[in-house]
Amino acid sequence: MAQNDQALLMRLRDAGLEFVVIGGVCVVYHGALLATFDLDICCPFGEENVRRIEAAVNELHPVHRLTANKLPLELTRSAFGDLKNLYLQTDLGKLDCLSEVAGVGDFSTVREQSVVASFSYGQFRFLNLDSLIASKKAVGRDRDLDAVRRLLAIKEKKEQQTGLL
Amino acid sequence: MIDAATLAQMNGEYVMPPDAGPAWRAAREAGIDMSLIEEALKLTPEQRLAEHQQVIDFLLEVQEAGQRNGTE
Repeated sequence: MAQNDQALLMRLRDAGLEFVVIGGVCVVYHGALLATFDLDICCPFGEENVRRIEAAVNELHPVHRLTANKLPLELTRSAFGDLKNLYLQTDLGKLDCLSEVAGVGDFSTVREQSVVASFSYGQFRFLNLDSLIASKKAVGRDRDLDAVRRLLAIKEKKEQQTGLL
Repeated sequence: MIDAATLAQMNGEYVMPPDAGPAWRAAREAGIDMSLIEEALKLTPEQRLAEHQQVIDFLLEVQEAGQRNGTE
C-alpha cells in the first residue's frame, strides 16, 4: 500500500483544514530519518473540520482503519460531530488525525508550539522540536524513546550552532 | 599512508566530534548511528522528507516482494 505524505498534506491544505504535522514525519522534519509509515496530524475537530478532512480524502476510498470491518468514512457522517480522532487508510496511505497531542495539549496549544516550514509545494506547520520531544516522552514506547535520544542530540547540536550552549 | 583514525573510519568506526555534547554522546552510546543524523542535518527539511519518501517507497516494495514470495 502506497504512502504519499506530500500528496496527503497538499490535499488537507487544499481542503482548508488547519493542522500541524506531528509524529514520525515531524521527527524526520527535525533531522532524524526514522522510517514511519503514516502521516500524523493534529487539527481542530467538530463536524465542520471532519468534513474538511473528508473532502480532502473522499476520492481516496477512506476507511476507519482501526475498525474491525474497515468502515468507510462516508458511512459514518452521523458521528462526525462526536469524533476526537480519525485513523484512516486511504489510497495515498495512512492518515491519523488527532485532536490533541500527549505531553503537549489540544490543537490550540499544539499550534502555538509549531513552526511554519516552507516547501516547494507549500507551507505547512510542524510541531517544534521541544514539544515534539515532550510528546515522544509522554507516549514513551521504545521507538518513541529512541526518537527522543536522537532529537535531544539534534537539539543540543542546534543550540551549539546558535550559541545557546 | 592511511592513518589509524582514517582506517578505523573506513572500518565503520564513528569518530565523535570534539564538540559533541552529553546528549550527542548519550545517543551514540545507546547505539544510534550519529553519522546518519549528521548527514540528515546537512539536508533541508524538504530534502529530508523527500529522502524519507524514497525510503518508504523502497521498504514497501520490499515488503510487497516478501509477501509475494511468501505466497508462492
